[in-house]
Amino acid sequence: MSDESTFPLSVVDGLTLSPEYRKALRPGEMWADAAGRQRQLPRYFYEVPSWDMAMKAQLTPNFLLWEFIQVDVRETPLLLSFPRYVPCAITLLAVCLERFREAVGSLVHISANGGYRSPSHRLSRNASLHCWGVAANIYRIGDTYLDTRSSIERFSLTARETLPAVWTRPYGSPAGFAEDHLHLDLGYVTSIPRDVRS
Amino acid sequence: MAAIADREATLRKQIEKIESESGAKAIAVAVHDTETDFELHYRADRWFHAASTIKVPILLGVFDGIAHGTLLPHSRIHVRNRFHSVVERVPFRVESDRDANSSVHAAIGKMMRVEELAHHMIATSSNLATNLLLDIVGLENVQRTLQELGADNGIDIKRGVEDELAFEKGIFSSVTADGLLRVLLLLAEGKAFSPALSRKMMDILHGQEFNRGIPARLPKGTRVAHKTGEISTIAHDAGVVYLPDRKPYVLVVLTEWDADSSGRSKAIAEISHRAYEALTEKV
Repeated sequence: MSDESTFPLSVVDGLTLSPEYRKALRPGEMWADAAGRQRQLPRYFYEVPSWDMAMKAQLTPNFLLWEFIQVDVRETPLLLSFPRYVPCAITLLAVCLERFREAVGSLVHISANGGYRSPSHRLSRNASLHCWGVAANIYRIGDTYLDTRSSIERFSLTARETLPAVWTRPYGSPAGFAEDHLHLDLGYVTSIPRDVRS
Repeated sequence: MAAIADREATLRKQIEKIESESGAKAIAVAVHDTETDFELHYRADRWFHAASTIKVPILLGVFDGIAHGTLLPHSRIHVRNRFHSVVERVPFRVESDRDANSSVHAAIGKMMRVEELAHHMIATSSNLATNLLLDIVGLENVQRTLQELGADNGIDIKRGVEDELAFEKGIFSSVTADGLLRVLLLLAEGKAFSPALSRKMMDILHGQEFNRGIPARLPKGTRVAHKTGEISTIAHDAGVVYLPDRKPYVLVVLTEWDADSSGRSKAIAEISHRAYEALTEKV
């Protein structure tokens, strides 16, 4: 039996990318969070050669890669075309969302700009966890739009009960709160696949 | 052939009569015929609440982005129903039951193309599409675009739509009939950025689905690229009228009413019909 991974995407050391990509992705760079603490951005990425591949790349039984990389015109133009690069920790987020999906018993929809977005994305600031590929904004679960206090708090509780150490944004309108989606993240997790040389 | 001055005087009297008989609090009309250079300006420098006619200047702002390459017609925008008031940046939403278009609301959480949102902003007057586009383009850029095109005189854009807090504070966008006329004339003459982009904007305005105003009493075969605007005390229609075998004319009708009054569309349609008669010598 082969011990090779069947995962279709290759791993890339961000520091070996062209200057244009390094400028957009800032691999391994330090970035201050909202409290001024320095956080290190991911260095290793999966290379996504095409949208077709993103549609096929199965991260878990119910999540495909494309769901995590939908970004709008606010993303830097270079990263709207292919190849694209996604932090390797995206697989950990997918596993957590799969577990969450089992707990809620319905489809979990990640919003545009609500999966991975680069540090150059116009909405990325204060070391946003979305730039680590470990945060998801969920706008709908099954037929329920998460745009009320009750729906957000209900599914937030489910997420926290189901996923150890997950953090969910409290309901509300000030910065750091959310009132039209459920934000959950795993903290500043990075993933270094075992075969890479670091 | 009746002299242009005679036709202008006749049309002015007809508008005065419609104004007095309709019960409108105020009516303003601006006409420019690109075929004959006929012009009429009836209270055309009076300021009105813009209502949804402000979406035409916002369309110009969007196409300024396209002209400068910061946007593409197929650029995708995240459909999110959360905006910030111009008053202290208080968050607000566009209520779906106050929006004429449901397909944009149905896309919340997903993405829509700039060209789709522009179509919905004009054709069905989607308020959600309008605020999404204005968020991407920026209020300042719309204002700058109008200045650069020489169309800022008579257009005072202060915010997006459905910003109730701003409305309560008396902050709203205003237009004059002459202001809208200048904008539409730029489009009709292909002078907004380029003939090709002007044509694309006109195509969007041709998609207008609310046709009880300017087009209602025009002959079959007439095409009107226009934008309506209606709130409790306001009913406007502003457009470019294309009749067969002649150059188009621009017509702007702005009206103000008591909140419980009726007959708004009828008055606009009547003025449009009279303008058509004046310009085609059927007076």
